[in-house]
Amino acid sequence: MPNLQKLLQKFAEADFDFVIVGGFAGVLHGSSYVTDDLDICAALSPENIGTLRSILRDANPVHRMTADKLSFMDYPAPSTAVANLYLETDIGVVDVLGNVLGLGDYNRLVKNSIEVQLGGHVCRVVSLPDLITAKEAVGREKDLLVVKELRAIAAKRGIDVPPPAGSA
Amino acid sequence: MPLMEPAAEALKRAQDAGIDLSLIDCNLALSYEERVQRHQSALDLMLTLREAGIAHAESAKTAPEIRGS
Repeated sequence: MPNLQKLLQKFAEADFDFVIVGGFAGVLHGSSYVTDDLDICAALSPENIGTLRSILRDANPVHRMTADKLSFMDYPAPSTAVANLYLETDIGVVDVLGNVLGLGDYNRLVKNSIEVQLGGHVCRVVSLPDLITAKEAVGREKDLLVVKELRAIAAKRGIDVPPPAGSA
Repeated sequence: MPLMEPAAEALKRAQDAGIDLSLIDCNLALSYEERVQRHQSALDLMLTLREAGIAHAESAKTAPEIRGS
């Protein structure tokens, strides 16, 4: 059974810079939608990939989009940078994104991110306005439905967000 | 056109889409830790129900009335 709480704890405990994005960020902002994976944004330099391997070493991480579920411990080769990582581990699915559609890379996201205390550690979470922007950029029906909830959360919390595109 | 979305419009759109605004109030009353714990409980339940559904579907395939015995 995936445990996103334990998975996040692994990243939070390590010396690794990331911003929580996606559905789990929505949960932290107050969304009721359930997500079964953890999405984070991080700089995917060869050095950081090495750090990710250390973090996930005991969790049997594999590239879940490859036919043979190649081990993350072996691929990519050392000194190789990648755009994104789509991993499955013994404790859950985690996508590590170098770039978030509609927003940009880790340096862009971290500027507006908020800090939250989780499990005794400080974690960075994409801001609510940025999360709305990202979900609207993806634009799938399910994302646009979640956006309506996120916009309602912003309204209740008094957080300013630009109006939806095309609204009068 | 306003630079920022009016709160009332955002709430109405959410309500019209069938979103339960009272659930938002409940979630916002929780700490970040509590939101994560609540979500993990919901995820556990969802996956348990999914597995039960799959098991039920499998057993239904071999049910006597289907086998014809």
